[in-house]
This record gives sequence, C-alpha cells and structure tokens, in this order.
Amino acid sequence: MPRTRSGITAFAVACLTICGTVLAQGKPDDGLAVGRQMLAEDNPGDLWIDRGEKLFYEKRGPKKASLEKCDFGLGPGKLEGATAQLPRYFPDTGQVQDLESRLLTCMVELQGFKREDIVKRAISPAGSSGSDVEALAIYISSRSNGMKMNVSLSHQKEYDMYKAGEYLFYRRSGQTDFACIQCHGEANKRIRLQDLVHMTDKKQIQEVVSSWPAYRGAHFVVRTMQWRLYDCFWQMRLPELNYTSDASIALTTYLHYQGNGAVIRVPGFKR
Amino acid sequence: MKKAWFKWAALSVPALIAAGCATFPDQATTRQIAEKMVSESYSAPTPALLKRLVQDKSQQICSKIGDAKLTQEEAAEVVKLARASIQYPESGQLVGDWKVGDKLAHDGAGDRIQFGRLEKRKENGGLCQNCHALAPGEINVGNVGPSLTGYGLQRGNSEAVAKLTYERIYNGWAYAPCSNMPRLGATGHLTPEQITHVVAYLIDPASPVNKK
Repeated sequence: MPRTRSGITAFAVACLTICGTVLAQGKPDDGLAVGRQMLAEDNPGDLWIDRGEKLFYEKRGPKKASLEKCDFGLGPGKLEGATAQLPRYFPDTGQVQDLESRLLTCMVELQGFKREDIVKRAISPAGSSGSDVEALAIYISSRSNGMKMNVSLSHQKEYDMYKAGEYLFYRRSGQTDFACIQCHGEANKRIRLQDLVHMTDKKQIQEVVSSWPAYRGAHFVVRTMQWRLYDCFWQMRLPELNYTSDASIALTTYLHYQGNGAVIRVPGFKR
Repeated sequence: MKKAWFKWAALSVPALIAAGCATFPDQATTRQIAEKMVSESYSAPTPALLKRLVQDKSQQICSKIGDAKLTQEEAAEVVKLARASIQYPESGQLVGDWKVGDKLAHDGAGDRIQFGRLEKRKENGGLCQNCHALAPGEINVGNVGPSLTGYGLQRGNSEAVAKLTYERIYNGWAYAPCSNMPRLGATGHLTPEQITHVVAYLIDPASPVNKK
C-alpha cells in the first residue's frame, strides 16, 4: 500500500512539473516596436477606442445594463491584461473563448441582446462607421496595451483547442488546395504586392497577434482577429467561417499561444 | 483507515487529471476534434458548396503537420492519383490563345463566397499573378511560386513542353506531390480550355512573358 501511495504522489509531482514547464513563457523581443509606434501615433483606430469605452459603460440592451460586470477571465470588470490571456477556458460557459466570443456571451447574458442580431452586424461593411463589437473589442484590447501576451494552456479544452488549431493550420482543402501554411510558411513572401506574415516564425507571429484589432486602411474601419481569419477563408474559396465558431477559436488559440511574450500595442495599422 | 485511503485516492486522482494534468490530445483525438469543428464552423449558400471543406485523399496526405515529412509511399500515391486525374481538352489542342491566357493569368477573382452569396462570374480567373512573376517589368506580382518570366525562352514551345506545362497547371502534384501549387484543373477551378490559353501565354514566343 505505501508503494501505491508514493506512486500516486510521484505521479502528481510529475504532472505538476510537466504542466509547469508548458506554462513557461517565451522572451519578448520587440524590435519592430519603434515603427509600430510611429504608425500608432496617427492611427484613426484611436477614435474607435473612445467609442468602445462609451459603449462599455453605457446601460444598454433589453436589460439596460453596462458591461462592467463582464468577466474576461481576470474577474468581473477587470480589463487590464484581460486580452493578453485570451483565448482561455471559462467554467460558466464550459467553453474556450476568445475576446469576441466572450464579449458576445456578456452582451447576451448581461445586456439581453439577441445573439443572432449581434453576430449579423459584428463584421461591419467597409467604409462604414463600424460595428459595436468592433469598437468594444478595440477598447477592451487597448486596456492591455504595454502588457505581454500570456496565453496559458491548463484546462484540457485549452489543450484540445491548441492542437485543433494546429491541425487546421495545416489542413488543405477546397479548389485551391490551400491550408494556412501554403501562404504563411516562409519568410519574405507576397501575394501580389501584399506581404504575407511568416506564421512559423516566432517574431512575426508575435508581431501579428499583438497588433489586432487593427485599423484597416483599405476598409476605413477597425478590424478584429475574427475578421482576419474570415477573410483568409474567403480568399481560399472556402465556405464562410462562422463568427466565433470553434474553428476560429482553435486557430486563434494556436496563434496567440505562440505569440506569448509579445507586447500588446493596439490598434495595429494595416494596409 | 483502508477505506479512507481509497476514498482519498478515488477523489483526488480524477481531480488531479482534470485540474493539474491536462495535456495535448493524441493525433487521432486531435483529428476527431478538429474535423468535428470543420463540420460545424462554416456556412455556405448551398450544401454543395459546403463540400469544399471535405478533403480528397491527396489533400489528406498533403496536410502534414509541422515538420512531418511525406513518406515515399505517400508521395507515390499522390503522384498516381494526380496522373489519373488529368484530362485533356476535347480538341486535343494543348496550346490556345496567349491573349486570352494573359487576361486569365492576371485575373484573381471567381468562386469566392461572401455574405451568403457565391461570386458570380462567367469563368474563374487563373490566379497566376497572385504567386508568380509573369511578363518582365510587372510589379504587382507575388513570389510564393517561382518566377515564370521568360518561361518559353528557357524551354521552347515544343509539343513536349506544351504537354508538361498543361499537366503542371492541371495537376502539378503529378510532378511535385503536395507542392503549394493548386491543382487548378483537377479541382475544377479552371476548365481544360482555359488551361490551354494559359499554356499559350507561357510558351508562345509572341507572349509578353517571353519578351526581353
């Protein structure tokens, strides 16, 4: 019997050691910060932050409530550093959620909005004044500015999401035979004149995940990570990626975890 | 005493597994989880369009994760499937009109799905310019694929070159299994006739691709 007990103890210690190692973070190396800062100083996306802040504290929806009680993982209303640790598992929904998915949960639960109504308008038309979700997403993200990406994998569903995201990143389908890796697997590649992010390079992946939501010059609106993924699938000729679908959360978990250590500076500024 | 010990073990071991020792799922579980996500995460105006997400055998083989390498057997199977897929135009003529091919090569549109609608066009663009340098001096060209500038100057325009070029566009995996190049004919993105025009654009001595 003592042998069994010590066996279980050893098992527990091994578990904790392994899990602890997985949590170790990459070192930040932010050489592009200067250029980013220059763009950020004159970034029209800042206007969305102000609007998002108003929307966050305003009593809205059928329940006439603000979003001040929304818990993004660090406690109700705690926004500093909140997006740095997303996506993560939330016990109340039993799901791994990214910023936008969690925002939806709060707008439905706290404010009483209809989920379908928010989803329908979440991604705004180019040249419009933008959606509420886009403004809220950039405001909430901006409260993590200067902090380091720090996504952790500890719940089984987080591990599952990460691995599914990796699988999807390499999963080829459709009439172009594309997965993400076909365009994002090498350095210094372009589609026509548009630079492609090298997603298997730690530095470049950090640059990407720490700069969304971003102001997209060609669309004159702030765009989110959900939009970024949606647009890739559109160009790949695949069906439309559903807003905050599991596939979108899986890819975001995979990318954000690899971006750990990057200093968040939003809104980014994109072409 | 004994009973208490069992109770402790029975309670704490699952708790440890749930809270402290979650870990990466194995390959088969990952696949199962991710494929379920694929089936639930996308929408399309018709069920037929949703089928674009379903992988064929070659796509499954060619979706290696990370640094995983294609085995020789897998490569051979992809080549075999690719060879069997290639169909030729009814006319038997593999070299079409380079001027039509020029337009196709610079056309990146067609068949995309947005806001619940399929992009309606008479025919799909060839997408070439997205990834390949074409005529000399063109700036708005990608570099994911190799430069095709001077393609015909380097290779000539013999029947053998025409056939090879046609087949590499129709299904390039017959020569380079699992390469990044889409199997434009085999997946139905381009028709055999369209491909003959792109072939002409690449090998015809009068084509801008082959001007110095």
